[in-house]
Amino acid sequence: MTQTTSSTTGLTSDRLLEAYRIMRTIREFEERVHAEFATGDIPGFVHLYAGEEASAAGVCMHLDDRDAIASTHRGHGHCIAKGVDPTGMMAEIYGKITGTCRGKGGSMHIADLSKGMLGANGIVGGGPPLICGTALAAKFAGQGGVGVAFFGDGASNQGTTLEALNLAAVWNLPAVFVAENNGYAETTSSTWSVASDNIADRAAAFGMPGVIVDGFDFFAVHEAAGEAISRARAGGGPTLIEMKFTRYYGHFEGDQQKYRADEVAQAREHLDCLLRFRTTVTGDGRVSAQALDAVDADVAALIDEAVAKAKADPKPGDDDLTTDVYITY
Amino acid sequence: MGEVALGIVANPMSGRDIRRLVAKASVFPTAEKANMIQRILTAAAVVGLPKVLMSTDVGGISAAVLRALQAHAGTPPWPEVEFVELPAHSQTATDSVALIREMIARGATALICLGGDGTARVAAGACGDVPLLPLSTGTNNAFPTMREATVAGLAAALIATGAVSADDGTRRATTLRVSAPRPGSGELRTENALVDVAIARTSDVGARALWDPDVLTELYVTFAEPDGIGLSSIPGLLCPSPRTSPDGVALRLCPPSRARVVVQAPIAPGLVLPVGVSSWRPMAVGEQLAIETDRGVIAVDGERELAFAPGRAPPSVELSAHGPRIVDIAAVMAAAAREGLLRTPPPTPQERS
Repeated sequence: MTQTTSSTTGLTSDRLLEAYRIMRTIREFEERVHAEFATGDIPGFVHLYAGEEASAAGVCMHLDDRDAIASTHRGHGHCIAKGVDPTGMMAEIYGKITGTCRGKGGSMHIADLSKGMLGANGIVGGGPPLICGTALAAKFAGQGGVGVAFFGDGASNQGTTLEALNLAAVWNLPAVFVAENNGYAETTSSTWSVASDNIADRAAAFGMPGVIVDGFDFFAVHEAAGEAISRARAGGGPTLIEMKFTRYYGHFEGDQQKYRADEVAQAREHLDCLLRFRTTVTGDGRVSAQALDAVDADVAALIDEAVAKAKADPKPGDDDLTTDVYITY
Repeated sequence: MGEVALGIVANPMSGRDIRRLVAKASVFPTAEKANMIQRILTAAAVVGLPKVLMSTDVGGISAAVLRALQAHAGTPPWPEVEFVELPAHSQTATDSVALIREMIARGATALICLGGDGTARVAAGACGDVPLLPLSTGTNNAFPTMREATVAGLAAALIATGAVSADDGTRRATTLRVSAPRPGSGELRTENALVDVAIARTSDVGARALWDPDVLTELYVTFAEPDGIGLSSIPGLLCPSPRTSPDGVALRLCPPSRARVVVQAPIAPGLVLPVGVSSWRPMAVGEQLAIETDRGVIAVDGERELAFAPGRAPPSVELSAHGPRIVDIAAVMAAAAREGLLRTPPPTPQERS
């Protein structure tokens, strides 16, 4: 007989508010970066996670200090969901000395090892092998830790990702691979570039479960991720979860998006994770609309302050040129 | 032969839900679904079916069928395949409904749907009186049969062409119609189930599939077979009622510690779990029963669909005899054997030499 744990019994209202706060913080953060980037004050590139919040929140709410995640070039949401301070992140994106990585990493390299966040990653497909490493370490440590690799549909075709899936399966690692399929690898449609059409279908070839989840639905994500993470903690091995959704902005800020029809307006109106979450939890009375409104106001103030502080803080100076570059073990 | 056509609707999303994770359920990759359709085409060609109306999808099935058509050089030639396009794909059940309606408008005289219980339920709601053959490529599969696609193709084509009459080769399924008020607005929503309606004391539709019997409070089934898979196996092992009987069964469930009877039931592939039953009774066609659980989630054919809470009208479930006409593969093939429909004249002496 197969025994399973159940996470279908629902979340407390405190946990629901926490989920909403994480998703709302990511959304507000990304909408502000979108607006501020257009002013030209932010150096480098940014890739926004707006629309995909339920994935980061629904997965990371199951994680704790034992666990590590690897992220992507679209990493702000994963950082926030894993507990990285949004104020430090905003300063990092502005290249300021008060940033999470002292302003030297920028959007694509935000990392906070103290939070188990191994970093946003400019290398497509760079995260999954890192997670095999943390998962192997967690397996030896024997404390039930897991590693979670977020990656996109583009990365799903990279050798590094496929090698990591194989390694995780042959070593039976406590790893969860979260394929965030937002439909486009930069400008290339995944329906054209992913040979198996569903990334989750590839799991069978590695002898691991592969499931598809509506990535706009926090509850579906939370439940599937909970099962996969419990299974990994209990020694059951790796899982591949494919989130299907749409990103609300282009590949990067400034992307003209001539490669896609206007699917975003429809998604924002009918599928949006925050709207659906609000409808569900206020509909059955688990959380009041006022409580959610209060979170909205809190988060808006937090991001306002983060942007004001990031703008006002100093950049790294000449003296910082050679600091944080090398590490002594 | 007049204008006849077989519609084929393949659900690109079937067989991929969370039960792969919690219950080691089977995987039906896109490539295998496309292979099954090719086997259907080969079989249907032998029966002389002139035309197939093929669903389109963005999951890769119709694309693979198109590539196969371009490469096909087999004998006999496959039927003409007409792809049925949609203005836009929502990648939800509404696509299947729109495709089936369009196929019927274009003259489909029989339909095959490839999917699991969820797909069959959606197809059953859209097919009207056109005979439906649900072929299993899903997870739970209490309703669609796990049959070889080649034989299913023969049977569906024999019905589509009228070589076997619908009276001889189909049977009318019963359905369960469940209505419940939406939390908040109280708006009454309705779903139809082909196999089972389960009431679960959970708050969210979540990942849809249902695999934890401890949250179940009530169960209604159209049939209960001892060798069934899914929730209907619970009454199947207590008080069987075959699918050929119009009667259903209504059960109250409870935790095994408080139960009158505990059944070890195969409630999903890979899951044989103890289920506590406090009472059960037959349910007659036309009978409407009030759902006693005050709030929770209603699952139809193994998938959570409707969250409900007290509202203007109490939730209820009714057994209806007006379900879809389902192709009975065994009956069709028996008729084909009886009437020699797949016999060909023996070769002449000239042909032999």
